[in-house]
Amino acid sequence: MKKLLTALLCVPATLSMAQTKINSATFGMMEARWLGPGTMSGRITAIQGVNNEPKTIYIGTAGGGVWKTTNSGASFKPIFDKYCQSIGAVAVDQKNPKVIFVGTGESNMRNSVSIGNGLYKTTDAGDNWTKVGGLDSTEHIAEIVINPKNSNEVYVAAPGPLWSDSKHRGLYKSEDGGKTFKQVLYISEKAGAADVAIDPENPNVVYATTWEFRRKPYSFNSGGPGGGIWKSLDGGKNWRRIQSGLPQGLIGRVALAMAPSSPKNLVAIAELENNKTGLYISDDGGENWKAQSASLNVVSRPFYFACIEVDPKDPKRVYRPAFSFAYSVDGGYSFAEASSEGGWVHSDHHALWINPNATNELWLGTDGGVYLSLDKGATWSFKGNLPVGQFYHVAVDNANPYRIYGGLQDNGSWVAPSAAPGGVSNAVWQDVYGGDGFWTVPDAKDPNICFAEYQGGNMARVNLTNGKAVAIQPQKGPGDEDLRWNWNTPLYVGTYTGALYCGAQYVYRSTDQGRNWTRISPDLTTNDKNKQKQEESGGLSADNTSAENHCTVFTIAESPVDGNMIWAGTDDGNLQYTLDGGKTWTNVAANYAAAGIPAQTWVSSIEPSGFDKNVVYATFDNHMYGDHKTYVARSNDMGKTWTLLKGSEAMEGFAHKIKEDLKNKDLLFAGTEMGLYCSTNGGKEWFRMKNNIPWYALVRDIAIHPTKHDLVLGTHGRGVIVVDDISPIRNMTEDVAAKDIVLLKPEKLTLRDGQFGGGGFPGTGGWNGGNPPSIQPIKYYLKDRVSSGDVKVEIVDKDGKLVQSIPATKRKGINMVTWNLRGTPPKMAEGGVKLDFGAFTAPMVLPGEYTVKLVVGDKVVTEQITVVHDEKGDMTLEERKQQYDAAMKLFNMQEELAALVDTISKTQEKLKGNIEKLQNKKNRQAAQEYYDKLEELRGKLMATKNKSMFADEKRLKEEISEVYTAVAGNEAAPSNMQIQRIDLLKQDLQKQDGATKAVMQQYHQKVMQAFEKEKIYLGPKLKVSGAGTSG
Amino acid sequence: MKKVLLPLMLIFSAVTAMAQTADEIIDKHIAAIGGKEKWLKVKSVQMEGTVNVMGREVGVKVTNVHNIGSRQDISVAGMTGYAIVTPTNGWQFMPFQGQTKPEPLPADAVKASLDDLDLQGNFIDYKAKGHTVEYLGTEDIEGTECHKLKVTRKNSGDQTVFIDAETFYVIRTSTKINMNGQEIETKTDMSDYRDVNGIKLAFSITQPFGTVVMTSVKVNESVDEKIFADPTK
Repeated sequence: MKKLLTALLCVPATLSMAQTKINSATFGMMEARWLGPGTMSGRITAIQGVNNEPKTIYIGTAGGGVWKTTNSGASFKPIFDKYCQSIGAVAVDQKNPKVIFVGTGESNMRNSVSIGNGLYKTTDAGDNWTKVGGLDSTEHIAEIVINPKNSNEVYVAAPGPLWSDSKHRGLYKSEDGGKTFKQVLYISEKAGAADVAIDPENPNVVYATTWEFRRKPYSFNSGGPGGGIWKSLDGGKNWRRIQSGLPQGLIGRVALAMAPSSPKNLVAIAELENNKTGLYISDDGGENWKAQSASLNVVSRPFYFACIEVDPKDPKRVYRPAFSFAYSVDGGYSFAEASSEGGWVHSDHHALWINPNATNELWLGTDGGVYLSLDKGATWSFKGNLPVGQFYHVAVDNANPYRIYGGLQDNGSWVAPSAAPGGVSNAVWQDVYGGDGFWTVPDAKDPNICFAEYQGGNMARVNLTNGKAVAIQPQKGPGDEDLRWNWNTPLYVGTYTGALYCGAQYVYRSTDQGRNWTRISPDLTTNDKNKQKQEESGGLSADNTSAENHCTVFTIAESPVDGNMIWAGTDDGNLQYTLDGGKTWTNVAANYAAAGIPAQTWVSSIEPSGFDKNVVYATFDNHMYGDHKTYVARSNDMGKTWTLLKGSEAMEGFAHKIKEDLKNKDLLFAGTEMGLYCSTNGGKEWFRMKNNIPWYALVRDIAIHPTKHDLVLGTHGRGVIVVDDISPIRNMTEDVAAKDIVLLKPEKLTLRDGQFGGGGFPGTGGWNGGNPPSIQPIKYYLKDRVSSGDVKVEIVDKDGKLVQSIPATKRKGINMVTWNLRGTPPKMAEGGVKLDFGAFTAPMVLPGEYTVKLVVGDKVVTEQITVVHDEKGDMTLEERKQQYDAAMKLFNMQEELAALVDTISKTQEKLKGNIEKLQNKKNRQAAQEYYDKLEELRGKLMATKNKSMFADEKRLKEEISEVYTAVAGNEAAPSNMQIQRIDLLKQDLQKQDGATKAVMQQYHQKVMQAFEKEKIYLGPKLKVSGAGTSG
Repeated sequence: MKKVLLPLMLIFSAVTAMAQTADEIIDKHIAAIGGKEKWLKVKSVQMEGTVNVMGREVGVKVTNVHNIGSRQDISVAGMTGYAIVTPTNGWQFMPFQGQTKPEPLPADAVKASLDDLDLQGNFIDYKAKGHTVEYLGTEDIEGTECHKLKVTRKNSGDQTVFIDAETFYVIRTSTKINMNGQEIETKTDMSDYRDVNGIKLAFSITQPFGTVVMTSVKVNESVDEKIFADPTK
């Protein structure tokens, strides 16, 4: 036993000696900024409010998690950032609204829909979540309902997997508040449950709809024998079809709604065979149905628009949010467009919440964010503060500040500066092209040109100065087959040549901004004709929007080290390269398959190494065949052999993108459907990047800025996310990570007050992604969080004088502290009545060498830092020196004044309360006179009477401060008048100093002697200017 | 070898499987900061420190008397202001914000501070004090493994407390208070625990406005309670 104990005790020691593992925490404060924007927002999938507190609303999104507002949308907070970001349904337990269920996996089954990983529950209104119910394999959840009379009963409608057969679909029921679920309505491996409703008056009556559907990479089918409308009278135990009155034939997706105020009244939009799709109503609890409206908005895209709601108070008022927003006042017989004025509402609607207490109030979820109506949908206001845009791709240029380009699902193509005065707000985003946006890329040379596209390869050259676009899509040439353009057609600017590339089944290149093209490849796909029957796609409702186009080129990449080496990957599994600019191509599909990557997989990205022509990375996405594994691979021999970069811990999510760092060949980033991963050792080990990045963010694309070293992520649901300056990640090795404290070699700092001016009042509303730090922070690494002792950074000049002491953070990993390039502000006179900004202003230091001293408890680490004049700035070095000299004069005057006030105040303090003790009347008078004269002097030196913050009271201190803050706070040489004023103020200060000395000379000794005579002790002697030591 | 390995693994799995309860964690935490006995003797705490604002040191003096009152004096660039909270009232005078005389604090704010007037901490005898505590497992706080406790306090806002799983010191609290019908969450980070008269106190406290670094902390020295009196009278 003793031996065992010893062994046990040894284990922790061994563990702690193990190499320090590099992971997300290693990079501590390197937290990402969410650029959003909120201007176009993204697809909203679920909206649920709290009936008794209707200012509290939960928003489920297609790829941005769950957001909560407690103030009717004045602000939103993300509350689901550690979990799957694709949300299918949200349900609030209205009896105890702190209980909320979130079903992951959106059920608007478009080609780009994500995949969920189960059901989550919170019991504290979203602070903490637990995965419950064992529904992890359902992949898609369409609806969750809670029995209004018994919170333990929860129904979950799971359509189930989109891309494969599965037993994990159907209607599930829990009787223990979500802990466990039973499948209570199961049809087949092909058909799941699409909707569920409970009769609130008799909760044993439950309705459900079932749906048979399937996507393949090249087709979609909605409808089949598994579809139908069902009813149970015993809380889900027994079910029967209720389709009396519906036309015969196959059924597709059915959206069902019950009139809450009259639960026997049901409305259903049923997708049916033979163009019978339409709205059907029942007034007898579904026993009999009657056809009503089949207007365009009612029947459009049933697989995608599965939303219908009945007003909670008025059973005849029916809303149909779909392609547009329509309403009916006759129970669904006729519909009209609700919106009349009040601006544009984004098309494609998926969620509607009606405040049951005030049914005028509607919350609408669209493909472009959330809208609020206070008049039953007649007018809408947009919530611009939900940064949940779904980018497909992201790119950066070389402007200063650099710009970020990207295209979004149903929201076109956009460009924004990476930094802007006041931060990167909604307002600075520029809409450059329409439709669904994908690749949006800057021209290699012309800063005014970018290229953008909408679905199916409809590409254009866009002039950024005026927004004008010219269509540039290549055309079918002689002998070519019909061109096949992917939904998300590659449009790419070569990293070596700057040429523009795009791909159908062929690869095209243009060297004149798309004016003229050359086809540089044969058909690089498998050209499998069985995968090219898109016109038959859709199932019961035709649906062929280029989303299913197949056997196309999906990704193109030029080697950064050889312009003749071009790689192309297809959506049907081919991976080909050319070494002669496209004359001949080699297909390496069989080679990667040998590494365990399935054949016919989408080649989602290719990354030829910037360090070695033979090295190439690629990601493969096989989720459209029901396989969600993360395939990230490397070849060191130009594609002959491949290695899967797996790491020891499983990565999650199918892979979209692999990015090699531009400086460190061992630093790799991988974006998957479920997060961003990083490897600092060439792919041997991966860790999930969490640094303020939602853990399961759908990372579709990754760019690294070549000079700013920023990591820019295009996410499909959280907009653009930027990690500023990844240099510390580049330089991190296991050796560095094993050290207790490392002060990273500081970069040269340029003297300037940031990049932008401060502006006036801040803009309000919308989303603001902030700015990168305007002064590069000093960075240091701590192996562990410092739990005892203080941490600070001291800046010391070359004479060893302390310039500034800056409090510093104690986090594990990389910490950052910003030195504002200034000294310490002047000591200010005590006893003021107005906050003086001069007290927070210190002159900017002069160029030169400084020492950075990092103090961690009793340990000190130092590095040199070079501070240089800003050659591109608004003033010359000579002017900077003039500014410094002028500022220091004022600084010293302020401190002299403070010393003078200090002498006066201390003398007054001594006198105060003691004057009355003097017996001798004459002496008492003299002492009082002395006190009053001092007060008079004090009142001339500084503001002493605070009447109101709006009442200006300016004395010498305030006047010096005014000039001081102007001189030291501006990036300019002092003006002639400022210099003149300094001299005048100096004279004033001397005058006051003289006057003080005179008063003290006149009174001090005399008064002190009087106290001494009467043996009244005034405390230790004061050194009084002009009066020697006395008192 | 196999024989040794097996019991080892069993013990390990037993250790990890043994869910810690809130009470166990609280006990360890209280032990780590000096023990219940010593904390029950705490009647007053006086702290002095500074916050660095743009290179300028702002003086902060906090004077707390157990369940009687708390006063913060702040001196900025030659000006001084204060905030006083007692179990029933509160006032503040912040001349740097333009106030020319002391003003009463709204009732919401007084209530939000009530449980903080308990200098012995909400954890000691928490049940008797009317608080409830729920253990929410461990969570990584900026790279440090922490026990997460949800404290539903009797009077003031709910608090999530993160206790370093190694030192059992509190390193972060996140407090929700209700002001004007809205929930406001304030995060406070604590570090640099030092021994003062046998109890451990954080000498570094970080809130959104900055970090207060304590220069002196005194426990159980006498305090003139007049400093908590209504300053408007």
